[in-house]
Amino acid sequence: MSVIAVDESPTVRARESDWAVETHNLTKRFGASVAVNGVDLKVPVGCAFGYLGPNGAGKTTLIRVLLGLTHADAGSMSLLGYEVPRHRDVALARVGAIVDEPRFHAHLTGRQNLQILAAAREPAARGRIGPSLERVGMSTRADDRVAKYSMGMRQRLGVAACLLGDPQLLILDEPMNGLDPGGMHDMREMIRSFVAEGRTVVLSSHLLDEVERTCDAVAIVDRGNIIRQGPIAELLSGSDMELMIECSDPDAARQLLAAANLGGHADVSMDGLTISLAAGSDRAVVAEINRILVESGNLVYRLELNKASLESWFLEVTTRLGAPE
Amino acid sequence: MTTTANVAIAPESRRGSPVPTGAMIMTRFMELRKRRGLMIALLAVNIGIPTIFLAVRLIAHAVAPHSYGPAGGYSIFETLIAGVMYIFGFIVAATLGCTAGSVDLTEGVFRHLVVTGRSRLALYFARIPAGLMIIVPVVAVGVIMVCTVCVVAAPTKLNFDGINNLPAGLSRQGFVSWAEQHPGDAICDMGYRYKGPPSASYVNCGPNNEIIVVTNQAGSTTATKATKSEARAQAIRSANQNFSAYGTTFLSPPLKLMIDTGLWVELWAIIGFLIGLGLSSLMGQRTLPVVLLIVYEIILTPLFSRVGIPHLINAQRGLVGLAMAHIEPAGLPAVFGGGNGGGSNQLVTESTTVAVIVIVAWIVVWTALGAWRMAKRDA
Repeated sequence: MSVIAVDESPTVRARESDWAVETHNLTKRFGASVAVNGVDLKVPVGCAFGYLGPNGAGKTTLIRVLLGLTHADAGSMSLLGYEVPRHRDVALARVGAIVDEPRFHAHLTGRQNLQILAAAREPAARGRIGPSLERVGMSTRADDRVAKYSMGMRQRLGVAACLLGDPQLLILDEPMNGLDPGGMHDMREMIRSFVAEGRTVVLSSHLLDEVERTCDAVAIVDRGNIIRQGPIAELLSGSDMELMIECSDPDAARQLLAAANLGGHADVSMDGLTISLAAGSDRAVVAEINRILVESGNLVYRLELNKASLESWFLEVTTRLGAPE
Repeated sequence: MTTTANVAIAPESRRGSPVPTGAMIMTRFMELRKRRGLMIALLAVNIGIPTIFLAVRLIAHAVAPHSYGPAGGYSIFETLIAGVMYIFGFIVAATLGCTAGSVDLTEGVFRHLVVTGRSRLALYFARIPAGLMIIVPVVAVGVIMVCTVCVVAAPTKLNFDGINNLPAGLSRQGFVSWAEQHPGDAICDMGYRYKGPPSASYVNCGPNNEIIVVTNQAGSTTATKATKSEARAQAIRSANQNFSAYGTTFLSPPLKLMIDTGLWVELWAIIGFLIGLGLSSLMGQRTLPVVLLIVYEIILTPLFSRVGIPHLINAQRGLVGLAMAHIEPAGLPAVFGGGNGGGSNQLVTESTTVAVIVIVAWIVVWTALGAWRMAKRDA
């Protein structure tokens, strides 16, 4: 077990924890509406963790509660092993966060904005301004006024702001927003590099493909509740697989496979024969199907096994993807 | 995922302290100073307008000294300080305070600051010295500039009630002696307000500045030329009555008055900044607090400082503008139509102790309200 520790607070010592973020029964209400409903969330240390949900599911609200931007109505939480809000100041010393879109004083340069934020952190943060700007590729534009920045540049400046505290935990709310494909690629690489350095990244997003490519584990939230959470591979392993078959006689093949009782459900469409296989089906099933078809004289042109994507899994488990806020 | 969080904590242990660090204050100062429009307004009101006014007068006097009086002097000092810098200085200072109190919220930076873990109170209190580092020097430069010109370019002769040959700085005895020797000036220009019971005859200024005795008898009024002794006696009465006004009329403002006035204007600007800071932090925006403070300064304070409303008199005494008028340095014209200066005292009455308590209370209450709201609001 590697330990990320550098030093310890003289007054409040962090307990060793496997969880960078841990909440128990966390609840936040706005009047009659419950934005965060008894959430139990556990984000492992040293991973990229996706926090997914439809619009209005309560993703940003949970982040705001964790960071002390608004108070929780019930429940408990800890960041990096520190109880918050009790030890909020100590916990946040090693947390960097972007909440909603990153916004700055438009009349100041990027560097001057970072100076303001660094001043609110420990004295060493001032020395990290240059390296942070360099890390996010903003060194050459750091002395331009933020008013002239594109959305993507502001996102990058937001990440630079997060790095001022040399964070062990980064909480990024929709960091891909406003980025072009190149920017998204860079952001993905940057997040992976943070994880490689031993930092934990919590990524709230609705871009499922990006999350699948970037994160190790996810939690799905809907209507303030966490529906599922865990490593992506584990979660998807519980999903059905689809086998696409292109053959000379799909109807005959369907009848033959139904009679063979391989545990799947076969459908014939314009694209050919599709067989849904139960979660956890062995690859040997595919070979067996191929053998049956070939031996029956049905010519097989193509066999393609499609594992469930995060998107299809997400659609399975949520009820309101794309619903208006 | 085999790592364990055992977090690195900076040796600094003041993050939860409400006391801001020097770096926080300096960066906040930089943020305010870089607001070009606001700084231009601040400099224009406190330095620009007086500078232009005095420059025009200096040039006009240099070009045509007989048509245009000296650029400086006591009366110009009064006009610029009480008429411009006091009132508009407050408004600009309040605008700066409202900006300092609200921009982090309106520009979305407050949440970035909060997630640093720094005490919200420290974030709030950093704005106070930062704003004062701007307001205090700017007001000081304006006042010093006005004082300098008013002293350097002061008239060489005193003009008191239209009298041009009256020496400056006379004692009461000297002033009375001068009036005895110049009864025409004393009676016709200074004037005399009779306060006694109805009298059958009195000395007055007649046509062509001739001193006359007016006699009312049996419904008819007659005027005869006054004797020298009658004129001298009336001149002495007039001099005695006008000496207090003469005593606060100078060729140029005295040093003590300039210092007192500078501190008084600075205090008012500081109060304006702190009220603006607290009010805008409370409301979470800039525009409405600025409008409210302008209305307060331009309309409500003059109105409620002069007109006593019997059932609201104690509430009126709670106005900070009235309290400031009561501690106005003697020798200035009355702001809001009252004060301890040269004008007649028409202010709602208030003791100096109460005035000081009111001022301190306004500073403390608005600062506390702003701090409380910043500590409690959602970021």
